Amino acid sequence: MIPNPLALIAEVTHRCPLHCIYCSNPLELASVNSELSTEEWIDIFQQSGKLGMLHAHFTGGEPLARPDLIELIAGARTAGLYTNLITSGIGLTESRLKALVDAGLDHIQLSFQDSRQDAANWIAGAKAHAHKIELSHIIRHHKIAFTVNLVIHRQNIDHLEEMIAFIEQLAPERMEIAHTQYYGWALQNRAALLPTRAQLENALETVAAAEKRLAGHIRIDSVVPDYYARFPKACMGGWGRRLMLINPSGKVLPCHAAEVIPGLEFENVRKKKLEYIWRQSSSFQRFRGEEWMPEPCRSCDRRAEDFGGCRCQALLLTGDAAATDPACSLSLAHSTVESALAEANSSAAVSQPVPAASFVQLQQRAAHLWSYRTNPE
Amino acid sequence: MPPPEDSSQPRLAAGCRWGAETKAGSEQERMILFPEGAIKLQGTGLQILERCDGERTFGQIIEELQTQFGVADPVKIRADISQFLEQLRYKRIVDY
Repeated sequence: MIPNPLALIAEVTHRCPLHCIYCSNPLELASVNSELSTEEWIDIFQQSGKLGMLHAHFTGGEPLARPDLIELIAGARTAGLYTNLITSGIGLTESRLKALVDAGLDHIQLSFQDSRQDAANWIAGAKAHAHKIELSHIIRHHKIAFTVNLVIHRQNIDHLEEMIAFIEQLAPERMEIAHTQYYGWALQNRAALLPTRAQLENALETVAAAEKRLAGHIRIDSVVPDYYARFPKACMGGWGRRLMLINPSGKVLPCHAAEVIPGLEFENVRKKKLEYIWRQSSSFQRFRGEEWMPEPCRSCDRRAEDFGGCRCQALLLTGDAAATDPACSLSLAHSTVESALAEANSSAAVSQPVPAASFVQLQQRAAHLWSYRTNPE
Repeated sequence: MPPPEDSSQPRLAAGCRWGAETKAGSEQERMILFPEGAIKLQGTGLQILERCDGERTFGQIIEELQTQFGVADPVKIRADISQFLEQLRYKRIVDY
């Protein structure tokens, strides 16, 4: 018997006012007119609750781009789910936040791109930083859990200490310091994002010191980035073991990036029930358990800990989704990661923010550095 | 991080709440939901956390549980409850 999934990741839209260069959304975004309706989402939450799921994580794109977000949060809460809004904060006013809390929002996770305004807006491709600060103060007027999320990379990692101090004064219960993961737009921009080993080691020390200092006040969640680790991450807690992701147009995926894997057919909630998809669909069964594993995973002691790592990363770096994740030092294709690291550790330091009056201007000026995430049609 | 004092009033941290009530065999079981997960509680853990209502003091909670478990060593009860609450505060599930 397959255990029930624990949580639903609801990608309610791929529309986003930000254009972050580290975005892990797929390059091919779901179009606006294919998005699920309010009623379809509410039905999904009901099914999720009955399937024993505990949490609904609202993400995107920017969930606030959905005018019906209040109804969606209420729908998830009514279905018995703990509700988490993962957001840039753009589109959130004091009154809309109050309405969301009244509808049953439990937790808000607000992203910051940097502590410095110019750098933050440069990474996001949007003037968002000042609004986020203002919003943080408003969030603290409500009795909801508050997490600040910060994605770190080559461009900002050198002033991590300053960024942690910045987050500290926003007074969240949690801060998540997330190293960039190389999927979607982030993979395309990897050369601009991958830190050097020296940068990483400094960052680890900084985080360890902050964890100690802030214990009992702010919990820090931080994981060593897989490119620099000896073993791969247990991606999604294992394929089809804990999580279901539903994309804006209703495709049900075992993880954010799974659509890149050729040969897999993903079911759509418009046609099949979640329980069927979880227990019986070929896509959820494809990499579940150990049957599919190649060597060295198949005989490895760690196979029940990391499940062979990430299937999408295996595909993106080796062309074979059923290979050992190349982030693993035991992978036969580990050289693909090593060569990216060699390049990161040999090339010049970091770029500097360029002033620009508009997003189009920013795109032009940064064209030789990276591509900004665009928006779906 | 300091342990709770006798006058501390332990309570669930913002955004942490009780979930569904279930039965594990004959024992009552309740779940605490928080941003990155959930913990199932039964027995003493459940008894302690149900008293963390922001009104009772740490001293009162100890007293109530001592009465309930009569024979137990009071020093040990205090140390156990304190450690339990410290761990939950570290995870940002409890404040005191």
